[in-house]
Amino acid sequence: MIKITIDGIEVQTDREITILEAAKQVGIEIPTLCTFKNLSPSGSCRMCLVEIERLSRPQTACTVKITDGMVVRTNSEAIMRARKAVLEFLLINHPLDCPVCDKAGECILQDLSAKYGAAAGRFKEGKRTNPVSFEDPVIVRDMQRCILCTRCVRTCDDLQGAFAISVINRGSHSLIEPFSGGRFDCEYCGNCLSACPVGAITSKLHRHTYRPWYIERQVETICGHCGVGCTLTLQMRENTIIRVIPDFEKGLNSGMLCVMGRFGYDYTEHEERLRSPLIRKDGELVPVSWEEAVEFTAWRLKELVKKYGGGAVAGIASGRCTNEDNYMLQKLIRYVLGSNNIDSAARLFYRPAVSYLERMFGQGITANLIPGIANSDGVFVAGGDPTTINPVLGIAVRSVWKKGGKVFVVGKSGGLRSNIKHELNHAEGAGALVLTWILAKVYEKKNFISENSIIDKKLSALKVPDMDMLVRVGVSPEALQYTADELVRLKNPVVIIGPETVLYGNGSKNLFLLGALNYVLNGRLFVLMDEPNTQGCLDMGCSPGVLVGGRPVELETFGHKMENTAGMKTPEGTGLNLFEMINGANSGSIKAMFVMGENPVFNIPDKKKVESALQKLEFLAVSDIFLTETASLADVVFPASAWSEKDGTYTNLERRLQRLRKGTMSSRGRADWKILADICKALGMKESYTDVKSVWDEISRISSVHSGVRYESLIGRGGIWPYGGEPLRGIEGDFEVEGLEDMPELPGFAQSGRVILKEDKSLIHSSSLSRYSPALMGVASEPLLMINPVTAQSLGLSDNERVVITSDKGTAVAILRADRGMPEGVAALSNTFKDNGFRSIVGYTIDPTLKSLNITDRVVTIERAKQL
Amino acid sequence: MDERIILRNTDDPLNASIAGYMAHGGYKALEQAVGELTPRDIIDEIKSSGLRGRGGAGFPTGMKWQFASLDPKFPKYLVCNADEGEPGTFKDRPILEHNPHLLIEGMIISAYALQSTRGYIYLRGEYPHAKRVLERAIEEALASGYLGNDILSKHFRFNLTVHSGAGAYICGEETALLDSLEGRRGLPRLKPPFPVNSGLWGKPTIVNNVETFANIPYIVSQGAKAYASIGVKDCPGPKLFSVSGRVNKPGVYELPMGISLREIIYTHCGGIKGGGSLKGVIPGGISTPIIAPENIDCPMDFVHLPKYGSMLGSGAVMVFDDTVCIVRVYERAMKFFEHESCGKCTPCREGTAWMRAILGRIERGDASERDLETLQDVAENVTGKTFCPLGDGAAGVLLAAMKTYREEFEYHIKNKRCKVQ
Amino acid sequence: MPQVTTERLKILRGKIYELMELYPSYQAALLPSFFVAEEIFGFISPEAIGEISNVTGVPAAEIRGVASFYAMYKTKPMGRHIIQLCTNVSCMIEGAYDLVEYLKEKYGLTPGGTTPDGRFSLVIMECIGACGTAPAMILDTDSYENLTKDRLDTLLESYK
Repeated sequence: MIKITIDGIEVQTDREITILEAAKQVGIEIPTLCTFKNLSPSGSCRMCLVEIERLSRPQTACTVKITDGMVVRTNSEAIMRARKAVLEFLLINHPLDCPVCDKAGECILQDLSAKYGAAAGRFKEGKRTNPVSFEDPVIVRDMQRCILCTRCVRTCDDLQGAFAISVINRGSHSLIEPFSGGRFDCEYCGNCLSACPVGAITSKLHRHTYRPWYIERQVETICGHCGVGCTLTLQMRENTIIRVIPDFEKGLNSGMLCVMGRFGYDYTEHEERLRSPLIRKDGELVPVSWEEAVEFTAWRLKELVKKYGGGAVAGIASGRCTNEDNYMLQKLIRYVLGSNNIDSAARLFYRPAVSYLERMFGQGITANLIPGIANSDGVFVAGGDPTTINPVLGIAVRSVWKKGGKVFVVGKSGGLRSNIKHELNHAEGAGALVLTWILAKVYEKKNFISENSIIDKKLSALKVPDMDMLVRVGVSPEALQYTADELVRLKNPVVIIGPETVLYGNGSKNLFLLGALNYVLNGRLFVLMDEPNTQGCLDMGCSPGVLVGGRPVELETFGHKMENTAGMKTPEGTGLNLFEMINGANSGSIKAMFVMGENPVFNIPDKKKVESALQKLEFLAVSDIFLTETASLADVVFPASAWSEKDGTYTNLERRLQRLRKGTMSSRGRADWKILADICKALGMKESYTDVKSVWDEISRISSVHSGVRYESLIGRGGIWPYGGEPLRGIEGDFEVEGLEDMPELPGFAQSGRVILKEDKSLIHSSSLSRYSPALMGVASEPLLMINPVTAQSLGLSDNERVVITSDKGTAVAILRADRGMPEGVAALSNTFKDNGFRSIVGYTIDPTLKSLNITDRVVTIERAKQL
Repeated sequence: MDERIILRNTDDPLNASIAGYMAHGGYKALEQAVGELTPRDIIDEIKSSGLRGRGGAGFPTGMKWQFASLDPKFPKYLVCNADEGEPGTFKDRPILEHNPHLLIEGMIISAYALQSTRGYIYLRGEYPHAKRVLERAIEEALASGYLGNDILSKHFRFNLTVHSGAGAYICGEETALLDSLEGRRGLPRLKPPFPVNSGLWGKPTIVNNVETFANIPYIVSQGAKAYASIGVKDCPGPKLFSVSGRVNKPGVYELPMGISLREIIYTHCGGIKGGGSLKGVIPGGISTPIIAPENIDCPMDFVHLPKYGSMLGSGAVMVFDDTVCIVRVYERAMKFFEHESCGKCTPCREGTAWMRAILGRIERGDASERDLETLQDVAENVTGKTFCPLGDGAAGVLLAAMKTYREEFEYHIKNKRCKVQ
Repeated sequence: MPQVTTERLKILRGKIYELMELYPSYQAALLPSFFVAEEIFGFISPEAIGEISNVTGVPAAEIRGVASFYAMYKTKPMGRHIIQLCTNVSCMIEGAYDLVEYLKEKYGLTPGGTTPDGRFSLVIMECIGACGTAPAMILDTDSYENLTKDRLDTLLESYK
């Protein structure tokens, strides 16, 4: 027990804390400028000087740890003078332009000056001038206002791990540079914005249009961009979000946000938002009343079910919609219309990956906590860049490195390139080869005795490639050896699985290899999830083979439970998956489709095929917030509420249930669950729902895993898996691995002049939704083709050139960007912007084992675009 | 026979080569140390010699070594601080340029005592010639088996690299030096932890001044007793004084600790240039407070100078006669401190710039009595509140000068011109 | 100013790899790498920063921060010969500022500036450790002491 006295008050603690922390415990406030949450102390601003008995010099309270018997004074005359002096030093060169500073009202320098500052100025020397810069797309920096506390630099380096800014020059000429503007490594996360105590870094969005005291309401909600589910606060005036700030006290993100979460909220106010229901009349979509749209939809669905049977109807759910929305869609499709044809874009990667791993190890195997990653001593990543797909999860991986842990990345290291020792980047298509070698080596070194005979048997059946083959796909023996040696040493490893493990073939084998590796290492699994509620969408039964709560439809007991508890009879048969629905529409077996918050025309490969399939439907209803490529083909379109306009729950990639809260009022859109409930009602559903909570209550009655979870309790740890219900553990039984015993083939290389195309997930964009965000478009407004510089050179193309990419399925236009991280002969294109993206110009087959997307037709030619 | 210990044989141009150095008996102390003594013996010997670090702070070297040697972490790094950037200081330069093997021998013995296998000489960028000399000397020592992986066939390994600074006075501060050596901006680190426990790359690290290392071979070969008989009690040994300014024979002098300023100026340096009268002396480099002529009998060592309101610092004696304007000296000094402030802490970053600006106006005759008050107040606001000693020194020396030479500052204000000329 | 070529960048890369051998961390090679970059390109060019970043893995922003901290690095193009003249106290009282004036009059050189023909750049130095032989300068990598206007003239003549 340490006992100290601060200003005559005794403080007792059993931890070695700083004087600053000790003072806070007894309510003594010591002013600080350079101290900030989650940052290590710097001791540089000198604002927190205190007197310690028996020491001649004043000491910084933020750095000095308490020792037993210490006597501290924080309010002597000398200390008051020192504080005044520090403020005077900071203000002599400060522009004192508070009236035009967006920080006014929440500026620490302003507040402290009011409290301790001098009454009059005596600086006659002429202020130092420093540049104000507007060249960054999302922030404005005014180095004249900077007090060099370096909170931004420490945040960027130590927390974000981007290393995009540094103090440059020295002494009184120091300033912080260069932030973004496309140079160096800025990730536009804006976490420096939260860290800045003054107006040196301000947001470009809503510049000069508000003051902190204009904020009328604020709402704590969950980010709607990716599967991490960061907690954030919407600050609003009238019906507009003025800004989004993180909450340092709540949520799994500890005050960190990414560019999408912090700045990408403004799509909700885009002028192209749908404002009225639309019905196609004489070939044109025309505005109609809600009643007409609902009645029309109910009538058409009823008619078509009567004519063709329930099996002719299909629904596409969405990982962007809430659990309640998805629940209501599956209720419409399964229980009102009598069809098991319900699926979502989770089919493309997440659903097959998670269910395959759950088949291996039981339900919830991927339900691990993101903050826990930081406590790991090593992270193994394969199949995608966590720093762009799930940025805040990505920074947890970087923090492992920061603490001395190891990071391994199979494939392009991307945002983790500073955190790895060796690249394990391989030729396109050789992932399974590399993973097999690593797994075999680790298995051998660990002397692992498996308790799972099924996995064990498969492990011994693996054919291990020799080093020669690996060298031929571009991986160095040194890197492989290092990886195997270090992996074996890990005590608390994490394995992260991204979409590329499945998207480009060898899906089941890659998943088996990674699942087995995690098993042998005794690690924790994470599967990257690009939408905020993909997991919830599955949990709500929006997948053909699975009912609410993730129960297999073929296990009849669950069907009975639905009937017993809710009087709902589950239709027979497994139902069609997403691809089968498209094929069904094409062949005429599917006649009607309800698409909620999804854009299959843009997000499923082979745009032409998907488009023509949907055109053949007798009835297509879409609910969305924009008139997407898919919505524009519909017979009826419902304007939905956007993320900031609705209540409900999301289930993130940790399977944590979190509550989304309504901030702004909907611009005449309605929540999807409400639209669907109205249609169900019109079709004769007996239940009625007053609000989103009443939908949740029904879910928690029916779903075994969610049983007993109260809507109100979904705060903090309340939503952490398992929720108190019964997860389905230990499904004993075999599973299939395609090509298990085959030696992985050396990938064939493209002919000269042709390149293999991959999908690029940009950090800035969140699939096709963020093209409506002016802020994010301001950062990245055009599609980029990332390509190895040597390959670009061999094609006679150079950086920043506009190029046309042509495949057998179509063409797309992008700006060429040389990227050393890309393997030779490979290029990557995003799937975000209007006109053709990556998926529009590739084809696909269905993986026979996983029933997932296997993208094909990736060989492309790249040529310089003709001058306009 | 050259009586000097540190500057011994530096008049011999061949001394910089290993052959010349060995002809004068060089590397005997190393052979003796490695052949006859244990690391523990050497640390004990250094402790009982009473050697204090020659960089400025005067910390007992033996004690520092013991701290590092007790730390169980390995590797241990040995760093020579050859970044003498303190204005007025050029005492290490003759060692670096004319007696490089003495430094290297001292470092190798230290490495042996501390069980360090890796050493760096952080040499200021302003000494390009010394860099060439040192690099050649290291190659020679390597070729002769005094450096490398099996020194004197005793399975003792030590390698040494010269690392150039690039013009940053703050890197003379040992933790800033370590940051700089690690390839960062040279900012002082928070202490604790101290370098002896967590220095270069978090490992136990000994940082000693060039002159300190140059004392080691003598102590090892002649014994602590012989060493302690030189100089004064509590401050034994020889000391290098670099004398500049208005004296007839400026230069580097090796004299016993505790010698008086008067003796240095009048006996060794031939008195004041041009026969003028002495106005003041800075005894230990620009960041030590100036001493008035009436106090020049003070003994030059770590113990006595503080009693005269100053410090031994680096032993850089700067002599000013009545042709020198004190205001101008301190304006220039403050310009230096402003230029060299790393910018990390507020009082130093802002205070040095502000003080320089006011001093500039006083010097130009564009200031009022109020400005002098402000200057005094700003200096007091810096003193004792900075992160490292740089800002403290800047304000402290100005306050001392303003106290001793107040009328000169006032003259500038009243008469809008300098008293000198 | 030497042009940036792949060949020159390759030489730089090779040198950095050699320097990295001398330290347990790659970042420690930064300071010596900057000197090498100056030798090859005349100053620490953006391309050199990119290359140093690629090889050492130190982020480019931090490299700029480090380079700009040290007064002796050339972070912009400079003249063929660099006059680094000390004006600190000991040199000042022996007339260093007269030499600064003289360089301005005779060569049109101002502190931080370069002669129009690109022959000389003048950098004002803080103490260069030649206080006993003041005033003094470092011209490129050689020290010259006890300077007078005449001596300065003669010396500069020999640097074309």
